Amino acid sequence: MPRTLWRRLALAAVAGVGVAVWVFPVLWGLLTSFKTERDVLAYPPVWLFKPTLDNYREVIFGASSIVPNLWSSFVLATATTLLTMLIAVPAAYALGRLRFPAKRMSGFYVLVTQMLPPVGLIIPYYLVLQKLGALDTYGGLTVIYLTFALPFAIWLMVTYFEDIPLEMEEAALLDRAGRLRTLWYVILPQVRGGIAVTTIFVFLNAWNEFMFAVVLGGNRVRPVTVAMFNFISVEQTQWAKVAAGAMLAMLPVIIIGLFAQRHIVKGLTVGAVKGGGRR
Amino acid sequence: MASAARPARSLAAQERRFALALLAPALAVLLLTTTAPLVYLGWTSLMRLDLAMPYLSGFAGLDNYVKMGSDPRFWNSLALTGIYTASTVVLQVVIGLTLALLVLQIPRGQALLRIAAILPIVLAPVVVGLFWRTLVLAPDFGLVDLVTRSLGLGSHNWLGDPQLALISVIAIHTWQWTPFAFLVLLASLATLPPDVYEAARLDRASAWQRFVHITLPLLRPAIVMVVILRMMTALSAFAAIFAATGGGPGSATEILNLYAYRTSFTELNLGYGSSLAVVLLAITLAISFVMFRLRRAR
Repeated sequence: MPRTLWRRLALAAVAGVGVAVWVFPVLWGLLTSFKTERDVLAYPPVWLFKPTLDNYREVIFGASSIVPNLWSSFVLATATTLLTMLIAVPAAYALGRLRFPAKRMSGFYVLVTQMLPPVGLIIPYYLVLQKLGALDTYGGLTVIYLTFALPFAIWLMVTYFEDIPLEMEEAALLDRAGRLRTLWYVILPQVRGGIAVTTIFVFLNAWNEFMFAVVLGGNRVRPVTVAMFNFISVEQTQWAKVAAGAMLAMLPVIIIGLFAQRHIVKGLTVGAVKGGGRR
Repeated sequence: MASAARPARSLAAQERRFALALLAPALAVLLLTTTAPLVYLGWTSLMRLDLAMPYLSGFAGLDNYVKMGSDPRFWNSLALTGIYTASTVVLQVVIGLTLALLVLQIPRGQALLRIAAILPIVLAPVVVGLFWRTLVLAPDFGLVDLVTRSLGLGSHNWLGDPQLALISVIAIHTWQWTPFAFLVLLASLATLPPDVYEAARLDRASAWQRFVHITLPLLRPAIVMVVILRMMTALSAFAAIFAATGGGPGSATEILNLYAYRTSFTELNLGYGSSLAVVLLAITLAISFVMFRLRRAR
C-alpha cells in the first residue's frame, strides 16, 4: 500500500512539473504585465506587488497603441478564413466522397502544397506584388495566406466528410434531390461541427502568422505579430509593456484554444493521418 | 438490361462532372498561388538579382548554385538545420512519449494536463520567441537565470553566447511543440487494446518488455506521423528563432530557412536567396517522400 502511494505521488509530481513548465512562462508574463518596470527588474523577484494597469493603458491608448494592429490581424484572418472555407469545403466534399478520375493525384497534390517551405514562396510573392504595387495591402497578404490555409482546410474537412454514412446521400439522390441540393441540405448540416473546427484553425493560423506579414506588410497592413516584434526592437527595456502587448495579442488565440481544446489534436494531425494517398 | 446500364453510366458521368466543378476552384487557386510562384522561384534562382545593385541583374545560369559549394555560411546553415531538426524532433518524441506513458497511469487530472498542453501550441511562435528572450532567458532577470542563480550556477548570457544560443533556440522549439507529441501519443496510447497487455502480464512479461514488444510496435504509426509533422515544422521554423536571436550571435542559430530569409530580405540578394530556398524546398520534399514511404511500408 505505501508503495502505491509513493508511486502516485511520484506520478503526480511528474505531471505537476509538466503543467508548470508549460503554464508558468505564460503566467509569469501575465504577472509581469501588471508590474511597474521597476518591479520587473527587482531581484529577488517580487511576488507581492501593487498591480498596475498602466502597461495596458499604454499599449491600448498610448502612442504605440496596438489596437490598429489587432484590427489588421482581425481583417486579415477573417478574409483568409472566409475565402478558404468557401473554396475548401466543396473541394473536400469531392475528395472525400465522390468518384472521379485523378482523384488520388489531386489529393496528393493538395498534400504536397501543404509542405512547401514558406521562405520559398515569399521571394516570388515579394517580386510579383512589388511589380503590381500590391505590397502592404490586405489583398496581397490574403492571397499568400491561402497557401497555408487552403491545403490544411481541405484535408481537415475531408476527414469530416468521410465520417458521415454513405446511405444518407444515396437516399437523397434516389429521391432525385439533385447533387447540389443533396450537398447543401443533407451533407453540410452533418459536418457543421467539422466546419466550425476548421474555421477556428484557419483563423488561428492566420492570426499567428509572422513571416509573410513582416515582408509583405508595411505601415498600412501590420498585424499584431509584426507589431509585437517591432515593439521590442524599439523599446528593448520596457518588458512590462511588451508583456502586456503579448497578453492582448494572444488573448484571442488562448480563448479559442481552450474553447476548441478537444478538437485540437485532430486538427494538428491532419494530412499525415491520410497521408501518402491511402485512398 | 442495356437501358439499365445507360442511366448508371450517365450517373457516373454526372458525378464526375459535379466533382470536377467542386474541385476545380481549389486546384486552380493552389496552382496559381503555390505552384506558379515556385516555378518563378526556380527561374529567379538562375538569376543574378541583387536589389542593392539592380544594374547588375541578369541571367546567371547555375552561378548561384556553384557559389553555394564554396559558401561556408551555407554549409553552416545546412549543418545547423540538421542539428536543429534532429534534436528538436527526438526531444519532442522522447519527452512527449515518456510523459504520455506516465500520465496514462494517473487516474485523475489528465484533463488539466491536456489544457496546459494546449497553451504553448496556440501561441504565435514570434510571441513565444519574444517571451523567452525577455522574460525567460534574459540575463539577470529572466526566469532561467533566476533559477540558475539561486542554485549557485551563476548568470549566463543564454542568447548571446553562440553555443548556449543554439541550445536555447532548441529548448524554445521543444517547449512549444512537445505538447503536440504528447497529446497525439496520449490519444493513441488510449486506443491500444487492453487484452494484449493482460495476456502479456499473464506471461509474466516485465514492464520494459511490454513497452518494447507491445507498446512501441503498436504505437509505430502514431510515432512516425508525429515525426513527419514535427520535422516539417522544424524545417520551416522561423518566427521563434527570428524573434529570439535573429539567427545570431553571428550565424550561430542561422538555420537554412533564416539564411535564405536574411540573404533575400536583409542583404537584398534575391537571386542567391532563391537558390537557397530551392535547396530547402528540395530537402523538405525529399524528406517527406521518404517518410511517407516509411509510413506505408507497414
